[in-house]
Amino acid sequence: MANNIMNWIDERFPLTSFVKHDLTDYPTPRNLSYWWNFGFLAGIVLVLQLITGIFLAMHYKADVAMSFDSIQHIMRDVNYGWLLRYMHATGASAFFFVIFTHMARTLYYGSYRAPRELLWWTGQGLLLLLMATAFMGYLLPWGQMSFWGATVITNLFKATPFIGDQVVIWLRGDYTVGDATLTRFFALHYLMPFVIVGAVVIHLVALHSVKSSNPSGIDLAAKDNIPFHPYFTIKDLYGLGIFLIVYSVFVFFMPNSLMEPANNIPANPMVTPNHIVPEWYFLPFYAILRSVPNMVGGVIAMGLSVMLFAFMPFLDRSRIPGGARYRPFYRLQFYLFLIDMVLLGWVGYVHPTDQTILIGQVATFVYFASFFFVPMISKMEESWLIKRGLPAEVMVLIDSEANEIAKKQLKKNQRNGVQS
Amino acid sequence: MNVFLKVALLCSLSVYAWGSEEKLDKVVVEKDLPSIERGAEALMNSCHSCHSLKYIKYRDLIAFGISKQKVDGWRGEQPLDTPLMAQMSEADAEQAFSTKPPDLSLMTKARDGDENYLYSYLLAYYTTAEGVVSNHIFPTTKMPDPLGMSGSPDAAQHAVIEGQARDIVSFLSWAADPHEAERLQLGKYIIGYLLVLTALFYLVKKQIWARLK
Repeated sequence: MANNIMNWIDERFPLTSFVKHDLTDYPTPRNLSYWWNFGFLAGIVLVLQLITGIFLAMHYKADVAMSFDSIQHIMRDVNYGWLLRYMHATGASAFFFVIFTHMARTLYYGSYRAPRELLWWTGQGLLLLLMATAFMGYLLPWGQMSFWGATVITNLFKATPFIGDQVVIWLRGDYTVGDATLTRFFALHYLMPFVIVGAVVIHLVALHSVKSSNPSGIDLAAKDNIPFHPYFTIKDLYGLGIFLIVYSVFVFFMPNSLMEPANNIPANPMVTPNHIVPEWYFLPFYAILRSVPNMVGGVIAMGLSVMLFAFMPFLDRSRIPGGARYRPFYRLQFYLFLIDMVLLGWVGYVHPTDQTILIGQVATFVYFASFFFVPMISKMEESWLIKRGLPAEVMVLIDSEANEIAKKQLKKNQRNGVQS
Repeated sequence: MNVFLKVALLCSLSVYAWGSEEKLDKVVVEKDLPSIERGAEALMNSCHSCHSLKYIKYRDLIAFGISKQKVDGWRGEQPLDTPLMAQMSEADAEQAFSTKPPDLSLMTKARDGDENYLYSYLLAYYTTAEGVVSNHIFPTTKMPDPLGMSGSPDAAQHAVIEGQARDIVSFLSWAADPHEAERLQLGKYIIGYLLVLTALFYLVKKQIWARLK
């Protein structure tokens, strides 16, 4: 009976072949470390955000006179409304944590390199969509930080040549951030996640065409690939368990630790908070914005700081596999870049003083220099490594993989030869 | 532990090092009913004439366990579902103090330092050499000293005022997050469940991966 139904479906829709191609037989390198769990986790967080968001929207009111109250209604009167809201608010931070880790893994292991450029760029597009969605969602509670954050960021569009002022008014729907801004941000905040789902499908199609990279950086021959199910379904579930424990600690025991106290004060256009800070995940980029004395320059620098990752496939000119694993200079650059990011985050958080502005400017310079010097360093590092001789394990791996692939090719040729 | 993980950990830890710069007294927020009830009483006496708690209704106080007799005394003729609005109208208060007294429902979550800020602020009143009442934490405050800290209390009075401030803060902490007790309780079960589930996933993972040589 079940077989008959499956046959009936398969004649009309490629269900079995889809499950085979993308799940049960999907070849995955067996040497993936736990750093490869974060793509799956990002998908889970997206689903969590969608579900909690849809339920929150059933009780939320997008109206400047009501939105702050409606959040308190959710927190106090709606059954488990506090849980939905804390999950959603913590989920936003969790999303960025997972995505940043996912990106750091890609950078560390050089997963952006050929043939995975399009995979990396679709990911870059997803990052931009995520940032836009998070930014618009932050306005919805209509607290002081919501209002002033949106005011500062929409104001940046003044930097648009010739029509800057008009663009700002067009974005806000008013001369200041107001009811029109709130309702359109709500509409778009509800829409964007579904756009993200579509972009994730594209990201996955790209992934399933080029397959996962792996810590060695060499495309593995068939013997080192194992089916995604059950090996990676269970590994991902185990990782999900760990993730959910950490996430639940935040949701249940410290849900306010990632929220600004000022956002528990209703938005007031007449009172500017002592210092306006974005959520932690925007801090490094905000610090770059503030480090450039000129506004247009700051906006360009901030935009570039997010977009520069897309150029990594062109900037990295080394042919040594495995990303930072076998490349001491690239590894050093990677860690320096991480430290620089944390430093920028700190500069973005504190009240600006002459000292922190200077630190911020140096850190911004280091940020861009890290990208700028990748081509030179990667090329020099490559010739140095080849001259010095690569580690024996890499050579063995490269050789064995090359043999394996050559043998396979030979077999295929022979078979084809016999047939024809 | 590899270096990558260490750096990631350091990044997340550093978030907590960026606290508020002001030196605040630490308050032990009480979670028990008697303390919160005392706090509600002190608040009704010292704060409620000017400050509202618009997200708390009289019914919420009774549902939490505060004695019905007391709540009935506070609400007078008002229905149970009335929010705790200030006794003084906003316009009158603004005329008297030249500022709107803020709603207190979220006060323990609306300042850097949370409960500690509020506690320190209530106790930070003093009389200057010129005989003017001022506040160390919030020098430009318009609120008159509600608990009498500026009247140079002796040690015994001081202890009483500290107790009152702690009770008020405890009550307001409950008012800002009435589901906290439920949240902490549920959190323990959820984490316990997830620990068991994750341990099982780990064992199944080990078993499945053992099939590979």
